[in-house]
Amino acid sequence: MTAMLELTGLGKDYGERAAVKALDLTVVKGEILGLLGPNGAGKTTTISMASGVVTPSRGRVVIGGVELAKQPRVAKAKLGLVPQELALYEELSAIQNLTYFAALYGIHGKLAAERVQWALGVVGLADRAKDVVKTYSGGMQRRLNIAAGLVHKPELLILDEPTVGVDPQSRNHIFETVRTLRTSGITVIYTSHYMEEVEALCDRVAIMDAGAIVALGTIGELVAQYAGKGLELEVTGDLDAAAAAAGSHGTVTREGNVLRIEPTAGLAPLLAAIEATGVTIARIESREASLETAFLALTGRALRDVA
Amino acid sequence: MIGASILKEIWLLLRDRGRLISLFALPVVFMVVFGSMFKFGPDKGEPRPIGIWYADGDARGKTIEAALNASPGFVAKPFPSADALRHAVAHDNLAAGLIVPADFDPLHGKLIELSIDEGAPIQVRGPIEGATIGTVMRALSPVPVSAMPQLVEPKTPPGIANPLAGVTAFQVTVPGNAVLFGFFISMAVAITFAHERHTGVWKRLLAAPVPRWQALVGKLVPYVLIALVQSAFLFGLGTGVFGMQIAGSIAALVLLSIGLALCAVSFGLLVSSFGGTERQIGSTVPVAILVMGLLGGCMFPRLFMPAFMKTIGNAVPQSWALEGFYTVLIRQGSTIADVAPQLAALLAFAAGFTLLGLWRFKFE
Repeated sequence: MTAMLELTGLGKDYGERAAVKALDLTVVKGEILGLLGPNGAGKTTTISMASGVVTPSRGRVVIGGVELAKQPRVAKAKLGLVPQELALYEELSAIQNLTYFAALYGIHGKLAAERVQWALGVVGLADRAKDVVKTYSGGMQRRLNIAAGLVHKPELLILDEPTVGVDPQSRNHIFETVRTLRTSGITVIYTSHYMEEVEALCDRVAIMDAGAIVALGTIGELVAQYAGKGLELEVTGDLDAAAAAAGSHGTVTREGNVLRIEPTAGLAPLLAAIEATGVTIARIESREASLETAFLALTGRALRDVA
Repeated sequence: MIGASILKEIWLLLRDRGRLISLFALPVVFMVVFGSMFKFGPDKGEPRPIGIWYADGDARGKTIEAALNASPGFVAKPFPSADALRHAVAHDNLAAGLIVPADFDPLHGKLIELSIDEGAPIQVRGPIEGATIGTVMRALSPVPVSAMPQLVEPKTPPGIANPLAGVTAFQVTVPGNAVLFGFFISMAVAITFAHERHTGVWKRLLAAPVPRWQALVGKLVPYVLIALVQSAFLFGLGTGVFGMQIAGSIAALVLLSIGLALCAVSFGLLVSSFGGTERQIGSTVPVAILVMGLLGGCMFPRLFMPAFMKTIGNAVPQSWALEGFYTVLIRQGSTIADVAPQLAALLAFAAGFTLLGLWRFKFE
């Protein structure tokens, strides 16, 4: 399988703090790779380094076989970036926006006009091409944001939270767009705060935490390896004592007044041990194995809680 | 890429009515207001009244009164008493007055009193004082003025070309406002950087196969061109509509306009390197520009400023730009060589702003 993106020992320091440590990741041509992680995990910094927006402190980036640091113009021409922000000129029309962004890639004149129409067609905005962007709905602006990253027909498209704040209809349209792009051979890196999006779209998932990739694989592999079934308990009282008591009956992670436990023995002795500490159990919930439980097991945090 | 940037910035400018108004309409309003203030101010182009009092039947007083009325710049305004005249100078809008004592005898120290506010700036007081005294001396000369030999000959020293005669107030207000509002382009530059960082367009630009220096130049060049169009518009309007004259070299005027545009845009780069938000830039930069413009003489001639303010004014590029424009517009036959110091100063300011801006500028 051909590598579309290779990150080797990639890291970024901001002062004394390492936002990304020394990250190794290979994205295979034609796949959709999901990038998950809580805020501050280093996802955006990784994406920014991979796309040439931020200069790495160490390591190297290779896009389609071309090293970014050595041949930035060639490497960048293979890549399209769709930032999390609506990176558009609101006062201009869709055509004017895309014509400008195409020009950044050396695409002008008739070819630019063709590419603009193609990109607008892909995201379903051809009929609003001449309208000023600020008259678009939020979902339409998100779709145009994607078109702006697509207009030069990149081999690798990086989508950073592309569905933030959009309506379900636009979200489905974006899903379909991403699937269509994969079918046409474009490799996609997709970050999202929505677990179900990653489950629905991605071939593989990389989970990041504290500046490193803590797990990488297909969703099935991650669930099988990390997502044990468990209990979620909402507790009031002496949480430290309750966590310590639960710890002798299974693996415990704690967030606020919630204990997530993968029991190693029966349920009855676990609950008895917790109640013996004098705490009150307000809620008990059984968790099925899923990408979300795998994520929680790996990071100890719920994705949307920290978003 | 630069061509696309220019086109895109023009599209944006045409969509932004506020920016169009601040660049093109607001300076015209200022020109009209300031020009009208000079034109329709207290003098209204009429001879200035000079108060006079003398004792009944004093022939010398009558002679001075007649001389004032005969002069092109003054008209005598009689007062019933010396104190009434002094009061008018102190409290009313009378610039000066002459009190001719009954025992007027210059040989024994009994002099005519010129009542005038000696605390007024010398640039304002001097001409009135000099012309009034001259009129008195000519009026009282034992020899008819026509029979007197020429004692004084006005002569411009080498190095200064003759000023244009009969210029209007617009000769001053057009360049003043062109310089003042020329610097407002710096706010537009800083805001566009802040906006693109805020929206993520800057990220897109950095992710594109465009060298960073080219991304920066692509942002700045359109604004230099817009600033030049603004200068051409304002000076064109000044000559075409307001009767402003260009006494010196057009080439010098163009070079000064380029210097001003480079200076203003590089100042915008420097402002943007501080990384404020659009709102912060919008609220602080206009104030800075207006203060710089005031110190530079854009709103009030530096000639009338105290010495220390003039010295401070040398530290802002507006004063150099304005001095250059005045030279070209007012001094007959002035050339590029005549404004070389001002051009050099503007380019030095532009270089300084650019270097400082680049040193501080954060691409990432």
